[in-house]
Amino acid sequence: MGKLFSQIWAVIVMNIRSLPQRIWMSLAAIVAISVVVAVLLSFLAMSNGFRETLSGAGSDEIAIITRSGSKSELNSVLSRNIVNIMADSEGIARDSDGNSVYSAELYVVVDGIKKSSQTEANLPMRGISVEGFDLREKVELVEGRMFTPGRNEIMAGASIQREFSGFELGTTVRFGKTEWEVVGIFSTGGSAFEGELWTDARTLQSQFQRGNSFQTMRVRLEEPGNIDALVAKVDNDPRLYLDVQTEADFFREQGDALNGMVILGWALSIVMGLGALAGALNTMYTSVASRAQEIATLRAIGFSNSSAFFGTLAESVVLSFFGGIIGAIVSYLFMDGISTSTMGANFTQVVFRFEMSADLIGNGIILALLIGLIGGFFPAWRAARLPVVLAFNKAS
Amino acid sequence: MSDFYLVYKNLTRKPLRFFLTLFAIFIAFLIYGTLTSFERAFNAGVELSADDRLVSVNKINFTQPLPISYARRVQSVEGIEAVVHMNWFGGYYQDPQQQVLTFAVDEENLMNVYGDDLILSDEHHAAWHQNRQGILVGRAVADLHGWSLGDRIPLNSNIFSQDDGSTVWEFDIEGIYTGSDPQVDTNGVYIHYEYFNETQSFGGDFIGWMGIKTVDPALNEQVIKAIDEMFVNSPFETETVPEKVFNKGFIEQLMDIGLIITSVVFASFFIILVIVGFSMVLSIRERTNEIGVMKTLGFQSGRIFRMVLGESMLLAFLGGGLGLLASTMFLGFLNSLPQFPVPDIILKDDIILQAVGVMIALGLITGIIPAVNALRLNIITALSRR
Repeated sequence: MGKLFSQIWAVIVMNIRSLPQRIWMSLAAIVAISVVVAVLLSFLAMSNGFRETLSGAGSDEIAIITRSGSKSELNSVLSRNIVNIMADSEGIARDSDGNSVYSAELYVVVDGIKKSSQTEANLPMRGISVEGFDLREKVELVEGRMFTPGRNEIMAGASIQREFSGFELGTTVRFGKTEWEVVGIFSTGGSAFEGELWTDARTLQSQFQRGNSFQTMRVRLEEPGNIDALVAKVDNDPRLYLDVQTEADFFREQGDALNGMVILGWALSIVMGLGALAGALNTMYTSVASRAQEIATLRAIGFSNSSAFFGTLAESVVLSFFGGIIGAIVSYLFMDGISTSTMGANFTQVVFRFEMSADLIGNGIILALLIGLIGGFFPAWRAARLPVVLAFNKAS
Repeated sequence: MSDFYLVYKNLTRKPLRFFLTLFAIFIAFLIYGTLTSFERAFNAGVELSADDRLVSVNKINFTQPLPISYARRVQSVEGIEAVVHMNWFGGYYQDPQQQVLTFAVDEENLMNVYGDDLILSDEHHAAWHQNRQGILVGRAVADLHGWSLGDRIPLNSNIFSQDDGSTVWEFDIEGIYTGSDPQVDTNGVYIHYEYFNETQSFGGDFIGWMGIKTVDPALNEQVIKAIDEMFVNSPFETETVPEKVFNKGFIEQLMDIGLIITSVVFASFFIILVIVGFSMVLSIRERTNEIGVMKTLGFQSGRIFRMVLGESMLLAFLGGGLGLLASTMFLGFLNSLPQFPVPDIILKDDIILQAVGVMIALGLITGIIPAVNALRLNIITALSRR
């Protein structure tokens, strides 16, 4: 048994050390596989980044109340009356004065100019209360100051600044007839809120003719994750047609919007992988053909045919592994961190970054190795069955 | 024995390699044909937009409302043939995931503005017009949910509710329209604005946007100016743009789909270029000896050059042709699925033409190095090389 392994090992080493002789065909296989892996990883990194951005926005400590069935903040409507009823509910955290901690919010869509395409795109503008600022996780003021209630002042998220032009600190922006001054820049650690404009809810109501209506209500929960008291309140009051969800659940659903991209990414890279597989097979058959005499000679001096098999298979796997690593490095260098935006559930732009992770890279390497294994198997089979007599022919 | 026969024999002398190389090319053109057609279908809204149509929305953003009075006032602007106002209903059927693109429209004017795109018989149109609870549905959405003429269907709204809190409205299907072009989207349904406006409870008399048809595209500029100036400094300023501009802007919001598709297509061609290129070089090098013999027999260098180039061309055209054929079949299959959400995806003539261009380029690039090598090959070195 030990002899078999040492034979196999010897052949593997020999094959790999002789790779430079077959450098061009080997490179062809490596390049083909690395491109496939890079394409796959780009798609995966895109949907991963999108999901992280949205799930990062949701907190377990916050519940979000929307009109029943509305699914997104934009579609929801809550009257002042409903907000007041819900603010009295059990299960909401209270401040030191005994007032419940909540923010009734207005969500409107305004136009911004996307830097990448110089075209108009939908930006979310959120009217919040001053308390609403602290109802976001990891929120901090990066520059400037908080808006003053009652004045046309807005704060812009850090992603807005990255992807859209005209929201620098101190500038004045126009939405329709109304003018707003950018007085602050905030960050929420890369989550979806960073792609929003925030202002005072009452000011927004009056400037956008929204009367006294809101769209959503965010409350701090007395006990993280526990929305039972709020749900019971809604169920027992016939005036209330509301959905209550923790913010974490609410955003998790929206984060799945780009899951189609994962499917598309896999489908495309598998089809492209078939092309690369043809390349790998070609390379390995050529390799076996060029080593035919060598393999037969080894057989003639007593090496087993399994050593020829595994030697060839190992060569293919090594090539594909290199291809996978190169593809992963390339996509990491060029794709990781790319900032982009797309239309989210609220009909507004969600700004996010491509985000690579070890898991995703693992997927890419697995795909590469799979191509290498299949691409090596059939040529290896042929190598193992080469007739020994070839060793004694002068011409190959 | 013709040159073509020689080229063919050379190409297929190693059947396995021939097949594998062909397969790699096949895959690349399959991806090319399919993705480019998808991109076209995606952009069909832009391509099909009529030059004589405008869209007028709230200047803040197209999701902001406009007063109902605007439609009447715009109607009086010189150079306008018809105006239809529309509201987004936020409709879904049974399950919130099953969105139905529902528009509450001014029933008098829908066909006056969009009649060129939507094909509807006069009886259907009249029947829909008369029934307040009537609904016009597109062929695609009717097939998807198995609706037929005369059905009474419930649609939910994820935005609006009635006074009793219910979010369900019932409608009678009075007409089914088709598109004047297979790429026209027939996923939309149209309901009466009046019915919607009176039954929803959020304070009405607001519209979403206006579709406008001008008498002549040449008047577009003038009409746009007239409309936007009419409402300047009011609480609801308008922004009026040609339909094409509006649709393009809307698509660009989704993502830069074009860029993604171009990158993937480019990447897959890069792969096959590498694979095919190297194996062409290799297979010609293996034949050095033979080429020497042919030259000795009196084959002109130019003829050999053409034969080698012909071989790579033939390979590119075979693989490419099969790839395009397969993508046509694949798209045909997708189009036949009723639950497939987009209008027909078609492999258009110009995509095929472009693909032929790519095949020529591919054949040239992969064949040129071995062909030049063969051209320059010296008979003595060729015959002495093993």
